[in-house]
Amino acid sequence: MKKIALNINGEEYVVDINEDMRLIDLLRDKLHFTGTKEGCGEGECGACTVIMDGETVNSCMVLAFQAEGREIITIEGVGNGEALHPIQKAFLEEGAVQCGFCIPGMVLSAKALLDKKPAPTRNEIREGISGNLCRCTGYNKIVDAIDKASKYLKEEGETK
Amino acid sequence: MKLETVGKNIIRVDGLAKVTGKATYPQDLYMDNMLYGKTLRSTKPHANIKVDTKKAEKIPGVIKILTYRDVPYNHHGVLFKDHEVFCAKKVRSIGDPIAFVVATCEKTATKALEEIEVEYEELEAVFDPIKAMDEKAPKVHDKSNIIYKYQLRRGDIEEGFKQCDVIVEEEYKTSMVDHAFLQPEAGIAYLENDTVVVCVSTQYPHFDQLEIAEALKIPLDKVKVINPAVGGAFGGREDITMQIHLALATRLIGRPVKAIYTRQESFVAHSKRHPMIMRYKTGANRAGRLIAMEATIVGDTGAYASWAINILRKSGVHATGPYEIPNVKVDSYAVYTNNPFAGAMRGFGATQVPIAHEQQMDILAERLNIDPIRFRLENCFKKGSTTATGQILEESIPLERTIKEVEKQMKKSVVGGV
Repeated sequence: MKKIALNINGEEYVVDINEDMRLIDLLRDKLHFTGTKEGCGEGECGACTVIMDGETVNSCMVLAFQAEGREIITIEGVGNGEALHPIQKAFLEEGAVQCGFCIPGMVLSAKALLDKKPAPTRNEIREGISGNLCRCTGYNKIVDAIDKASKYLKEEGETK
Repeated sequence: MKLETVGKNIIRVDGLAKVTGKATYPQDLYMDNMLYGKTLRSTKPHANIKVDTKKAEKIPGVIKILTYRDVPYNHHGVLFKDHEVFCAKKVRSIGDPIAFVVATCEKTATKALEEIEVEYEELEAVFDPIKAMDEKAPKVHDKSNIIYKYQLRRGDIEEGFKQCDVIVEEEYKTSMVDHAFLQPEAGIAYLENDTVVVCVSTQYPHFDQLEIAEALKIPLDKVKVINPAVGGAFGGREDITMQIHLALATRLIGRPVKAIYTRQESFVAHSKRHPMIMRYKTGANRAGRLIAMEATIVGDTGAYASWAINILRKSGVHATGPYEIPNVKVDSYAVYTNNPFAGAMRGFGATQVPIAHEQQMDILAERLNIDPIRFRLENCFKKGSTTATGQILEESIPLERTIKEVEKQMKKSVVGGV
């Protein structure tokens, strides 16, 4: 057992972990951030994507102790309480959601992309979600949604 | 009539839960006092087995190990009851369930799997469906491997081929495909008084309820199936996987039991798309009219039938493709082998045959020196056409329009990307 401190969605956590525990197990089984999904357990599908210090990672490929002192954003930390994040709003409006299992990872990959590059081209969007599989094959609408989210964020910036 | 939703953009009811991560899939359910289940699966495609769980049962944390001895009625299956809940004497494909370990944590359950001793006495196996059709082939179940034959006849096939100027004969094969839905199978079962509750992502909750009740030999109203969010299915969740294992475990132990398959286990636990071998003979006259078509289609359903009958019937019905042919003979077969079992997958048997009939169309067009698009337009179903099964198409048949639109789009220079 080992004790680590980390920040998840803006809150500090101090937790006991096993040395061989993965970050996804810490998030899901211990802290019940179940929006993070496990699709393959080997870093292929991207369903377990979270943002760690601004970069997307597959939380099934990161051991929990590696998250010590880091800032993690999960899907539960996107948007603020009642209000949807523009990315989530755009996903809903564009019908980018089907079975939904890839969506938390897709939203987080989109967020990491738009945080760095507010106006990506469609090819850049495709590259941004290239680590996330959607088996309902809804990629076009997901790309449409991220494109729309980029415009929402721009409008939001202008009104501020 | 005033339409309130048709023609309007509607936000899907479960969309909000899904974009916020709040949608609950069975793996997201946790209960107090719950146990974890892991399945021991066959590593051989065809073998007699003897199972010894004694050593594994002694591992601290192992609560119970279920085998066929614990199942009141050890059979299930959507069309035939040819699956065993746990293999009793024989395994018929790699991945067949043999035992279900229930333990206090996943790690212990996994460790216990390794300590279960399975003695395999390997039997000759058959993997080629054509060979499996031979009477002398190894029997997957104790009967003929041919479980279904569909026959379609229209006109006079021999007379038809005599009228053809060009005849093309080819064989086509399609491969096995997995649905690979993104959410691996997961479930949790618990007791509500004397009712067994099973939460599992499924395409067929009412039939799961029936199969659980039959296997446990309890009344239907003592089984409740809850279908939370389903993370993709595409036909791959129409058969039982863990449902009966979970229900039986919670009923015998009295505590909630949860199971989650790994991606690897998911691949061996559920059905596949039927691989098909399709022998086609198609003939046309110099004017570019299809005159006769003969097809033999063999579908490899693997070790279990699942929906094989419906699927091979559908392949047979769709064998001509969307073309009017006056003389048709189709035989389609569903055959057992020791391969992973095949069942429903998007298209349900209609997806494989275009590989054959469309390539036949291209080859015929080339031999006849006719543009392949003109050749299709000449022969495709139109309003008033009669299909090989005798259906007169009286309603909307917009195929000509579709082909012309495709042609128009193909002629535009298109650069890749969306």
